[in-house]
Amino acid sequence: MDNLYIAPTPSSPEVDFKFDVHTLSLRGESYPENAAAFYGPIIAQLKEYLAQQSGRRIVVNIALAYFNSSSTKMLFNSIEALNGAAEAGNQVQLNWYHDEEDDTILEFGQELSDDFPAIEFTNHAVRSA
Amino acid sequence: MPSPLIAEKYGSFFSVAREHQVIFYYVGYFSQHIVAAMADAVNLQLEVAGVPGPTRRKLFSSFIEMAQNIIHYSADTLAPPSPAGGELRHGSVCIRQEADGRFLLLCANPIEPRMAVELRLKLEKLRSMTLDEIRQAYRRTLREDAAPEGSKGAGMGFLTVARDAREPLEFDFDTARSAGESPVFYLKAAI
Repeated sequence: MDNLYIAPTPSSPEVDFKFDVHTLSLRGESYPENAAAFYGPIIAQLKEYLAQQSGRRIVVNIALAYFNSSSTKMLFNSIEALNGAAEAGNQVQLNWYHDEEDDTILEFGQELSDDFPAIEFTNHAVRSA
Repeated sequence: MPSPLIAEKYGSFFSVAREHQVIFYYVGYFSQHIVAAMADAVNLQLEVAGVPGPTRRKLFSSFIEMAQNIIHYSADTLAPPSPAGGELRHGSVCIRQEADGRFLLLCANPIEPRMAVELRLKLEKLRSMTLDEIRQAYRRTLREDAAPEGSKGAGMGFLTVARDAREPLEFDFDTARSAGESPVFYLKAAI
């Protein structure tokens, strides 16, 4: 399937899913007007891609500076899908980037890590510019 | 020739704002672009004022949640609502700093009368919860399968603000408006 790329806007993240090299990245801010409308198609493609993988090593990079309440839900659903793929025999490595002073994002990453143990989580604290 | 009446007439508006330590105030239509621009302004304001990072983040988060609630739910729209978004709705938001350093975030917007009942129930329930219960409700709602009906988000907006607030959220309705006018919903959060 084709790679998925969506350019960032001030309130929505850059989506760079390189399906061909199994590297999926999400970067920027996430507070789109309608999170379900924004993430719906993205999650659908993600699930389609994951359903085709077996025994694959998939690297996921998430570097979001902020996500609103509805984005949080969508993110959760995405990680859940990735966990499913990991349980199905794929190796999913998730790099979780957060500002070193941002406890909210750090804690959310930790919660995801606890909820989805099949995924290999690595936390990366980033120094503010 | 200077017009001495200007300061007399309009100075009081600005000095009231200063007295109330208003650091941001907007009344008008809310759209995604407008909210994004305001978020930038608020962030810059707080940074320049030397507000610590964690507080800035909580204020930013609560501001976005409140402003997006206005985008989605204000009864005063410029165009018929469409599922794809692009809505433009009216309301107001204000950020004040109290003498003890804490911030108050207030917002107001007209709402459909039937929404008032729903909102009152939701917010009264929230007020009765401890911080721990709020956190648990947040985690539970996150894991639920579908968003509440009529909600364009995850139904977690109020929980998100309540979780960051220093005290239970306060709210009020102004239903004593002229016939045909929508009631106004007020929400106040202390950060």
